[in-house]
Amino acid sequence: MIFDEAFDVVVIGGGHAGCEAASAAARLGMNTALVAINLDLIGQMSCNPAIGGIAKGHLVREIDALGGIMGRVIDRTGIQFRLLNRSRGPAVQSPRAQADRSLYRREMRRTLEATPNLHLRQGMVIDLLVHGGSIRGVEMQDTRKIGCKAVVVATGTFLNGLVHTGRRTHSAGRAGEPASVELADSLKRLGFPIGRLKTGTPPRLDGRTIDWQAFEPQPPDKKPVAFSFSTESIEQPQIDCYIGYTTNELHQTIRDNLHESPLYSGKIKGIGPRYCPSIEDKVVKFADKDRHQLFLEPEGHETNEVYLNGFSTSLPAELQLELVRMIPGLEESQIIRPGYAIEYDFVDPRSLRPDLQTASIEGLFLAGQINGTTGYEEAACQGLIAGINSAMFVQRRESFRLKREEAYIGVLTDDLITHGVDEPYRMFTSRAEYRLALRHDNADRRLEPYGRELGLIGDSDWERFNGKRDRIARIRSTLDKTRLTRSDPAYAALSAALRCDLGDSVTLSQVAQRPGVSAEMIQQFLPKSADEKGSLSDLESALADSLYSGYIDGQTATIRRLHQHDGLRIPSDLQFGAIDGLSREMVERLERARPLTFGHARRIPGLTPAALSQLLVYLGLRTQAA
Amino acid sequence: MDTIVALATPSGRSAIGLVRLSGSNSLAITRLLIADQTFQPRPANVVRRNIRNLSNGQAIDQPLLTYYEAPNSFTGEDVVEISCHGSPLILRAVIDSVLSVGARLAGPGEFTLRALNHGKMNLSQAEAIRDLINAQTDAAAQQAVRQLNGELSNRLHPIKEALLNLIVLLESAVEFVEDDLPLIQRKHIEEKVEHLIAQVDRLASTFESGHFLRDGLRVAIVGPPNAGKSTIFNRLLMFDRAIVTDIAGTTRDTLSETLNIGGVPVVLTDTAGLREDSANLAESIGLERTKQAMADADLLLVVLDGSVPLTATEWEILRLSSDYRRVVAVNKLDLPQFRNELADSNNDRGRVIEVSAKSEDGLGRLREALVEPFHSFDTSDAGLLITDARHYDLLCRTRTELESACSLLNQGASEELVLNGLHNGLRFLGAITGETTAQDVLSQIFATFCIGK
Repeated sequence: MIFDEAFDVVVIGGGHAGCEAASAAARLGMNTALVAINLDLIGQMSCNPAIGGIAKGHLVREIDALGGIMGRVIDRTGIQFRLLNRSRGPAVQSPRAQADRSLYRREMRRTLEATPNLHLRQGMVIDLLVHGGSIRGVEMQDTRKIGCKAVVVATGTFLNGLVHTGRRTHSAGRAGEPASVELADSLKRLGFPIGRLKTGTPPRLDGRTIDWQAFEPQPPDKKPVAFSFSTESIEQPQIDCYIGYTTNELHQTIRDNLHESPLYSGKIKGIGPRYCPSIEDKVVKFADKDRHQLFLEPEGHETNEVYLNGFSTSLPAELQLELVRMIPGLEESQIIRPGYAIEYDFVDPRSLRPDLQTASIEGLFLAGQINGTTGYEEAACQGLIAGINSAMFVQRRESFRLKREEAYIGVLTDDLITHGVDEPYRMFTSRAEYRLALRHDNADRRLEPYGRELGLIGDSDWERFNGKRDRIARIRSTLDKTRLTRSDPAYAALSAALRCDLGDSVTLSQVAQRPGVSAEMIQQFLPKSADEKGSLSDLESALADSLYSGYIDGQTATIRRLHQHDGLRIPSDLQFGAIDGLSREMVERLERARPLTFGHARRIPGLTPAALSQLLVYLGLRTQAA
Repeated sequence: MDTIVALATPSGRSAIGLVRLSGSNSLAITRLLIADQTFQPRPANVVRRNIRNLSNGQAIDQPLLTYYEAPNSFTGEDVVEISCHGSPLILRAVIDSVLSVGARLAGPGEFTLRALNHGKMNLSQAEAIRDLINAQTDAAAQQAVRQLNGELSNRLHPIKEALLNLIVLLESAVEFVEDDLPLIQRKHIEEKVEHLIAQVDRLASTFESGHFLRDGLRVAIVGPPNAGKSTIFNRLLMFDRAIVTDIAGTTRDTLSETLNIGGVPVVLTDTAGLREDSANLAESIGLERTKQAMADADLLLVVLDGSVPLTATEWEILRLSSDYRRVVAVNKLDLPQFRNELADSNNDRGRVIEVSAKSEDGLGRLREALVEPFHSFDTSDAGLLITDARHYDLLCRTRTELESACSLLNQGASEELVLNGLHNGLRFLGAITGETTAQDVLSQIFATFCIGK
């Protein structure tokens, strides 16, 4: 095969997954090409101009700790930072930021262009060149053939993308961008199990036509919490977002026009997410609610566009305008871009290995929405993992993977390859059984050593991290050793502030387990430090460690006891139907899931303990007989 | 798979001893034992044959043989049961001979394991079927059958659902903080958790009675010599004799028998012993025996001689046993000088029954008194009992987790800590009934709340 160009790694797609993959592979020394249909739209946010949120913010910080780029890019382009769940425990707090959409794109492109070994190429990939069970290269629409040793497919919603607005549909990967049809066929021909998902997006409004007074402002945090562990401070000027509501009249109008909705007329085949549903879904499913919440999110300092969050829709464009004008404050508003729904192909992620490489073709990796996830952060972390592993593959190094108890990224990849997806997969904290251990603020302590070992964390970052790790360890030691007794003058004030008796004698780490403890209360007991802001944040981390440590240990013991057989391997050729005593339904579930360990089997939905016991006995007896 | 052999009846002298073989060589081995290669028994039929000691050719015994052909046997394999006279020497010789021609000694529970592997039962059924096999009584059998029919799961299901709903409420508060959701009323949730704790507790507490149905109620007969312990023992035995099985923990110098009293399997132990010592030592021996019996027994049957005034020994025995579950039988009602000195005493812990072992007067009431706490299980609408220690343990752990969640709610702790306890509780319940996955929780959230950003 003659190639026009050759690289080590080719990344297809310049979205959030593609950018992470390309950046990581390049920085790991791979000669990398990022191929995108339109290079001006690298890093484009298709939908909500925001990064982070509950659980998603955790993902971004984990990406940053491993050496990924999303965190740095949003820190430089975010215009409204808020830490969510401030009133709750640190384990469920998560950062979120609205972004200046065009600034984010430009900053992402700038970051990639400054990355050595990384080459941008514009064009559409129409075929994957496979030979002897391995990937050899890609073929472009303009007839070029690019050779490589590994490919990361990060095509987002572009595969056989079909946009629906009212009764009209047209082929597109995103509004105004062509769909990737031939590549979708290529994947089908290669035998991958393909499904169909859908997602939607709301209209964008002209900010000049909005009556802002009618809305409740939602201000940014006074002290923004950054995503990247390397960010010293957030410099950009911040903005407010605004909260509004729909009305009953609006709901009724939607109900009267449901036949115009492609979702309800049955035109859309793909399955959408149950969270973040279209406004049509909300009105139908929750008919008794007389108003639904909406958010007005300005898209940047230098544009009039405003994103109407919570109003995802595929109703006809003219109807959208009528509906939007029923919202108090939007009576005079104009729509710059109408909302729409998009259907697209995805590949069943159970055909992937834990390193996101396909089981059937060597060197071929899939990352992002193509695997059935939704969300920029979910895509980005897969891109990072795939990018790292494409380099590991080329260098014949051991592949990199994270466990469920180590990171949300571990939970995500494990869920995908074990269970597949029934609907677009979004991360939630409740998906992580070790939620208490996976905090956003300790992502660096959990993962930065891996990033360093891989080669993605530079010297100055590593030095900063080590300093922080040592400081926190010292603080923890002080908390453990500092004891207060009733006679201490500070005791009374502390006890009063926490509104409880602390016992005759108590260590500070014990105090940390009380509800309502803040770093400010404890700071007085620690030696003064030059960097007060940094030391407060270190103290917060140390206190959170103390707060949760007992619970984490207890939970780990429980899970270990209940799940002690998780590591038991299931032979890949095992005939589940041959196990006596399993009902047909259980056999079907097992065959569909094809678990490779008992731990996987245990998590198959609908599998009864009796069936699991039967499986366990069968496996135990097989090992005995062997 | 190997052919295994084991003694199926308890060791020690007894009228009958059963040696059981399971595996593809069972019949072949049997043919060697009886020196008849043409032996082709009808399955599930009893025949009598001579068996020989294969090491020296001598006749050992004339046992009854029963052959079960796979898969219609307990284990699902070929099974041969050899019913010999219960002499340990005979049984030893039989087993040695079997071992010498290619079988091996079964490991603990191995017959059951094979039954599982051949699909003769699944594990939770095994828990129930084992109980059924071991059940001495109808009531015990009924409980086993209920579990077989999934009644435990049914009973736990509403508890699980309620717990799941609480989890859903709290998770939605945590996960969807930006959505327009109703405010969580913590006090309300706390009450609900307390309600769940009560339900779990109620179910767990049935284990106290429930496990007696499965493991047997250990009743020890204590009292001074000549009060008539042995006579009462024998009388009760004649009334209520049941199949004898191997009961762990019985000591050598006591007599134990298993009875069925009103549906409850009772392991009755006579502490009289095989030797009676002379009068001066009798008292101390009586006290010693009593103390030991108290340690091992679930219920004490204190037998007093009603024909003579209570001795210091008897008062001592009564005092020692006053904190225990006990029934007092004042014996020798048939004699004219009988007097029940305890008739007026305010004894709320024990029950006092006047009996005559000789004439059998009052024995019926004595039987009832022994099993009175479990008496309701005679009737068919007896409630579900937890009979299995594993289930009991899981329920207790569930309760502990719920209690910790409740206490955290009370202290005002953040939701993720409360959820930690609730999720742990759900895990423990799931080990009995089936796991709840994160997906189940999410599905419930989306079905309940409009999540929309």
